[in-house]
Amino acid sequence: MNGRIGATGERAVVEFTFAGRSVQGRAGDTIAMALFAAGEQVLRHSSRDGAPRGVLCNMGICYECLVLVEGRTVRACTTLVRDGMRVERGGRP
Amino acid sequence: MTNRILDADVGIVGAGPGGLAAATLLAREGLSVVVLDEGQRPGGQIFRQLPDGAHGHAAIAEPPSHRHGHRLLDAFQHAKVALQSGATVWDARPGRLWFEQGDASWLLRCRHIVLAPGAYDRCIPFPGWTLPGVMTAGALQVMVRGFGVVPGKRALVVGSGPLLLPTVTALLSAGVRVVAALEASSRWAALRALPAVLGNGARCRETFWYTRKLLAAGVRLRWGWTVFGCEGDGRVQRAVIGKVDRTGRPRRETAQAIEVDVVGAGFGLVPSIELGLQLGCDSHFVAARGGHCLRVDREQRTSVARVFAAGEICGIGGAEVAIAEGELAAAAVLSERKGLTVEPRLANKAVAERRAADAMLRAFAPLPGLHELAQPDTVICRCEDVTLQRARDAAALHGPSSRAIKLGCRAGMGPCQARICGPSLQALACQAPAMTMDKPVVQVPLKPVSTQTILEAPLG
Repeated sequence: MNGRIGATGERAVVEFTFAGRSVQGRAGDTIAMALFAAGEQVLRHSSRDGAPRGVLCNMGICYECLVLVEGRTVRACTTLVRDGMRVERGGRP
Repeated sequence: MTNRILDADVGIVGAGPGGLAAATLLAREGLSVVVLDEGQRPGGQIFRQLPDGAHGHAAIAEPPSHRHGHRLLDAFQHAKVALQSGATVWDARPGRLWFEQGDASWLLRCRHIVLAPGAYDRCIPFPGWTLPGVMTAGALQVMVRGFGVVPGKRALVVGSGPLLLPTVTALLSAGVRVVAALEASSRWAALRALPAVLGNGARCRETFWYTRKLLAAGVRLRWGWTVFGCEGDGRVQRAVIGKVDRTGRPRRETAQAIEVDVVGAGFGLVPSIELGLQLGCDSHFVAARGGHCLRVDREQRTSVARVFAAGEICGIGGAEVAIAEGELAAAAVLSERKGLTVEPRLANKAVAERRAADAMLRAFAPLPGLHELAQPDTVICRCEDVTLQRARDAAALHGPSSRAIKLGCRAGMGPCQARICGPSLQALACQAPAMTMDKPVVQVPLKPVSTQTILEAPLG
């Protein structure tokens, strides 16, 4: 758990799953930030080496944080969490 | 999927300081304005705000200059501007901007375009920089100031230039212990930057604010130091740091290990010029301004009729430059639309802000020796897992151009479209003594979007 600064996390709770595990985010969180707050930093494994990768730029530039949301590849750092969302680790960009 | 078409007098790309300033002024004069922004909320990277409904803003310390941000956002919210958030622009031609928003493919038709897409962090590869927990300095600021998330317990901040300071203070706001803050430039850089700081009241107050924050937290900025590498099992756990010489070359004998769980690296910024290139705008290479940037005239006109540019896309300069250039661009659009004259005051302000920023950034000129941090087996293109050795082999075999290296080893062919590896690829692969790079080759889509978006793009 990395957690939240002060009262900044006092927002509506959004429940979603990541790699089958249940995660509680907050309304207005991106997938990447909800996962980071919950201590999940590995968002995918690289295409050739299989090395763990996580957030790099956090602003939609680098495409390192690609995850799968219901079959669609999205950037975890620009996609907001929704209740009931099913997120899986991404693979090859 | 739905196709949609929007019409406006002016289309603005980017809701950072430049875009906000331009939009507000144009809307006040009665023009219809649509702003396309990739972020979820206006403000850009510099004036990041917590999500709607969040509490606890007071916990996150803000430097004095952010008051401009609040004023700018207030004025913007009162102006009649249509803001499209979460919009990724993927194709453009004069008068036309195509963008994806969620599942929908959109076209904005507008007579004038103002480009204010900002910049992104310059990455310099070092061993272990792909480990989770190693991020750009910008990423850490977004995490803290945009989401209120705690980045870790023990942080290392490395890089070069004025942006290291807000990264450190963001971490301190989050209660993170900043174990080391390393500026690769020598103390001479600070001396060279001093006249630029002292000659500008706002910059002076800003620097004083940061210095006080660092002193209060007992964080000492170490000049002439950087990171040699990061290690860890599945995420960063240790970093090796050490001194560099005046050109940024690592002095291996000074290496020492520290325990950290988060690393923020910021070696300056790179202008986001892809959209300008796609529109056919002339560009030039200015090393101290972050590399390739658009050429503009005294009133922010690019070489393409009815396309204007403001802020970082014309070269890195910071928020004050972006605001001044955004207002100037808006005034120039108004002069073309309504025959209003551009007040000399606006042009003079933009020139003065740009001059002050240039003086500051020249002091922190990129250090080519930092390219010696990467080892032959260090991944330099993260999208395609290309190591430095493979990029060197490709350059030796196919030639030193970015195109030759790319075709030879796939570096820069992944979804980031060379935004991350591009700025240092040639210097690394060709062991060039300077920070050089060819003009980026842009192609549509300018960012990866779904095939559906492209197939269903509205024409007209």
